[in-house]
Amino acid sequence: MCLDVIITLLKIAIVFGFVLNVAAILSWAERKQSAVMQDRIGANRADVLGFRIFGLFHPIADTIKMLTKEDWVPPAGDAFIHTLAPFLALFTALVVFAVIPFGDTLHIAGRDIPLQIADLNVGILFIVAFGGLGFYSVVLAGWSSENKYSLLGSIRAAAQLISYELALGLSIVGVVMAYGSIELDDIVRGQGQYVLGVIPYWGIVAQPLGFILFFTAAMAETKRVPFDLPESESEIIGYFTEYSGMKFGAFWMGEFIEVISVAGVVTALYFGGWQIPFLSNQGIFIPGLFTIPLPHLLVVLLQVSAFGLKVLFFCWFMLLVRWTLPRFRYDQLMAFGWKFMVPLALVNIVVTGLIKYVF
Amino acid sequence: MKIVGHNLTTKESFYFFEIAKGLWITSRHFIYNMYFHIAHLLGKYPEVPAAVTVQYPEEKVPLSRRWRGRHRINARPDGSPRCVACMLCETVCPVQCIHIVAGEHPDPAIEKYPVSFEIDVTRCCWCGMCEEACPVDALYMDTGKSPEPGFSREDLLYRKEQLVKEMPLPGCQRSLNAPGQGPMEANPLGL
Amino acid sequence: MPTLTIDDQQVTVDQGTTILDAAKKLGISIPHFCYHPRLTKVDACRMCLVEVKDAPKLVTSCSNAVRDNMVVFTGTPKVEEARKSILEFILINHPLDCPICDKAGECKLQDYYFRHSRQPSRFKDYKVKKHKVVDLGATMVLDSERCVVCSRCVRFCKEVAGEENLGIFNRGDHSEIGTYPGKKIEHNYQGNLADICPVGALTAKDFRFKCRSWLLCKVDTICPGCSNGCNAVVHFTLRSFDGIKGQRVFRLTPRENNDVNKIWLCDVGRWGYSFIDSIDRLTTPALKKGEDFVKSDWDTVLRETASGLKTVVERYGPSAIGVIPSPHLTNEDLYALKCLFSCVLKVTNIDFKLPGLDKGEGDKLLLKADRHPNTRGAELLGLSGTGLSAEAMMEKVKTGEIKALYLVGSDPVKYIGEKAEEALSRAELLIFQGTNFNASCKLAHVILPGATFVEKEGTFTNYQGRLQRINKALEPLGEAQADWEIFTRLGKRLGSYPSYKYAEEVFKDMAREVAPFTGLSYQKIGPQGIKLTLPEGKS
Repeated sequence: MCLDVIITLLKIAIVFGFVLNVAAILSWAERKQSAVMQDRIGANRADVLGFRIFGLFHPIADTIKMLTKEDWVPPAGDAFIHTLAPFLALFTALVVFAVIPFGDTLHIAGRDIPLQIADLNVGILFIVAFGGLGFYSVVLAGWSSENKYSLLGSIRAAAQLISYELALGLSIVGVVMAYGSIELDDIVRGQGQYVLGVIPYWGIVAQPLGFILFFTAAMAETKRVPFDLPESESEIIGYFTEYSGMKFGAFWMGEFIEVISVAGVVTALYFGGWQIPFLSNQGIFIPGLFTIPLPHLLVVLLQVSAFGLKVLFFCWFMLLVRWTLPRFRYDQLMAFGWKFMVPLALVNIVVTGLIKYVF
Repeated sequence: MKIVGHNLTTKESFYFFEIAKGLWITSRHFIYNMYFHIAHLLGKYPEVPAAVTVQYPEEKVPLSRRWRGRHRINARPDGSPRCVACMLCETVCPVQCIHIVAGEHPDPAIEKYPVSFEIDVTRCCWCGMCEEACPVDALYMDTGKSPEPGFSREDLLYRKEQLVKEMPLPGCQRSLNAPGQGPMEANPLGL
Repeated sequence: MPTLTIDDQQVTVDQGTTILDAAKKLGISIPHFCYHPRLTKVDACRMCLVEVKDAPKLVTSCSNAVRDNMVVFTGTPKVEEARKSILEFILINHPLDCPICDKAGECKLQDYYFRHSRQPSRFKDYKVKKHKVVDLGATMVLDSERCVVCSRCVRFCKEVAGEENLGIFNRGDHSEIGTYPGKKIEHNYQGNLADICPVGALTAKDFRFKCRSWLLCKVDTICPGCSNGCNAVVHFTLRSFDGIKGQRVFRLTPRENNDVNKIWLCDVGRWGYSFIDSIDRLTTPALKKGEDFVKSDWDTVLRETASGLKTVVERYGPSAIGVIPSPHLTNEDLYALKCLFSCVLKVTNIDFKLPGLDKGEGDKLLLKADRHPNTRGAELLGLSGTGLSAEAMMEKVKTGEIKALYLVGSDPVKYIGEKAEEALSRAELLIFQGTNFNASCKLAHVILPGATFVEKEGTFTNYQGRLQRINKALEPLGEAQADWEIFTRLGKRLGSYPSYKYAEEVFKDMAREVAPFTGLSYQKIGPQGIKLTLPEGKS
């Protein structure tokens, strides 16, 4: 029992260590990647003893800056809720990772350790629920700031989040129908099958439209370009106008963690999670041809790294999208959400159902 | 609201293909630049730039010979400014950043000299008209320096004593006479 | 009356008129250096040559009188060639340093060069060197190299100023202007030398190198130096840089008015403008707190003043208030003052005539003994002799019968001396309204800053009873306000008082109420002023 607790804590440490570090690196990657995309060099001036290592000290410098800045609470606002909101943003983004499986079951010293923090049987509902809870951080931040513009910004953001949550939830239904489970572990394992014997039966194969819809809606949930109306760094006043210091940093970090969470969920739902095509528990396995046995630990390690790399790829891809597309106008955003995404998600469910029924 | 733009074609109205096109452009740049960044780290293809930017304090773009930088005043051989306080620069200055107080020079041949000559660089718009207006080979903007930041407005008020010590940037010198060196053999501008 | 043709235009002029004057009548300007309408003609410069039909050579237009049926051409190639040659001849020894020269921008030689010559110098020899920066006296500096030897200055000193101390020495291209050995120019009209000098040879020390002529704005005004009311132009700058550094007004130059000052201005008036931007200008309203003055704002100060005056009137009656205005104020200011004190507060003790007010030193030409521009105006408005005289007021202040004293630009301490100082220090309420700090102001309890003559509109009445306008050139320094404006604001707090917004409105009321001004308006006064019809026995 004690060992179980230790193992779970270890898993939490590993997963959150990964997520938080990647979030910090993302703040660097965002600068560097945009620079490389735009034929620039990017932030590279922060140095320690003359070493710059490609600007990797910038996240540290940012953190020091934000920690030492004045933490200002609007005198007329609600101090408790004002403080609560950014941590709610961080928490909801972070906790999603609890249900994402990052590897196959590890058999070690006679124990079966599932590489997932909590194998909830309502995994997908958990993700949607906590994704939805992020909405509160936005509303509370805007409301507790006692600032008209923050409040308007938070209402705008809330409208956006609610609109896209619908499309998000509906697009997941397709995946649930395809694999017949709402438990993430089952879904990932389901993606280890093959269509026609050679094509891995990943979510992207089963639900190509669903993937596009989910990914778009998830981008909207992260409040990043092209859906960054809630904050829109320079133009419209957003819901965290009255935040400074590390509380502002918490929103900022929350945004990056959301990016990683979305990447994790997309990986788990549509890109086979930790699955590597033609790599089974026994080793490299080409159906109907041959099998090369590999040690169990190596296989698990490969699968965990595959999951990590897939997540990193989607983080990269989301940054790529963020630095490619211009922002939606608010009316376009709403029209796109309600008149395009939701009907398409419904169509996707019907089509999936029909295919299920036929085959 | 007036929406400016053309109506989307059917293909465009799907967004998807247009987004894919955009992503292709940006990722192409990313991959190309990344390839050369890594190649540079390995010491390959140093002649192919991976970025168009110039790392300013370390690298500098060579200045044009017509570049207008900080002002300077040419000096007479004795080190005093050549300026005769005619105030033509003050007159022509569109932002009124030059202020001269003229005075009677003890030497009647020189007659007039600037008791104080101040350029308020916080106002200066670097148009170079003062340089063109100067009738006596005194005021030039060929130092090749940009103004240094200061902690007070006083720091950014360049005075006669300071301006006369500035030297022209070699190669960019526009004056007939270098400060304190008497007439030069040939006009550097080929006039 | 001969009729002649100048450049195909017919003109009829008086017998004896010169060709140059006749052309001027037609609006044709003939270039000239030595000719000056108010000096004798000497034919020195040869610049005004014109072609006359049937004349064998070109003739000087400044000295040749017109004849009937004369046909004159002022712009033929022959004339142009002559002008070009004359200019080249003059410029042979002229230093070509217009950027240094203080006259640049208002120099006739420069203007004519650009209009008639525009050729590079062909002279290869060394120029004749002459004396530079020659001190001619207390106020003038001569640069002989720039001189074109037109002899205007020599004639001016002899004919107008009546003091023969300038002359031309040496011959040919070495001829030079100078004072007679051991002499300096000493008369009171030296400033005019700088005005009449067509080039940069004679410059006034006061203006020399202070400001370039093209940076100056010009507004017509009246010299406030004495009761003669000479017409003048004030030269000032609106450039913020110069404004910040202090000096805004740079000089006063005369304006032609045949009835008043011809075309001259005396040195006393010309260089008397320095008080406008001087360090002792009152720029903010102030109250005395203990021994020191504390800066305040208009509302507070006017409230204090109004309540102070009101209390005195209520407690001791209007006879406990004395008002001493200054004849430096405009008619509008004085009328607004009269409205406030005699109509609203019923004060009778108003007298501007401090003893010794008109005891300056005058001369025959322009300068008057009375150094105040509007003494006659104050008299016509009845600001003297209605109650106690200024001197009597001082006595009453000393004995405590007059509690409050209102000084408007006047300085009893200067004219009466220690007695006034003692009296003023005993006053219960001493209000000083004026432009500059002075000995009386030092004793005041309330200071109201007023505007100087270049900072307000208004009219002055000179000693002859000629009404002339002054114009606003600059905004009042700091928070100062025109005196009529202060009286209007004060009047509103003390009772029913017309709300004047412009000096012209005050003048309109005055023209309705005060006899000599009846029927006049700013338009009727015009730029040259208008002579008032004065009541019997006062002209």
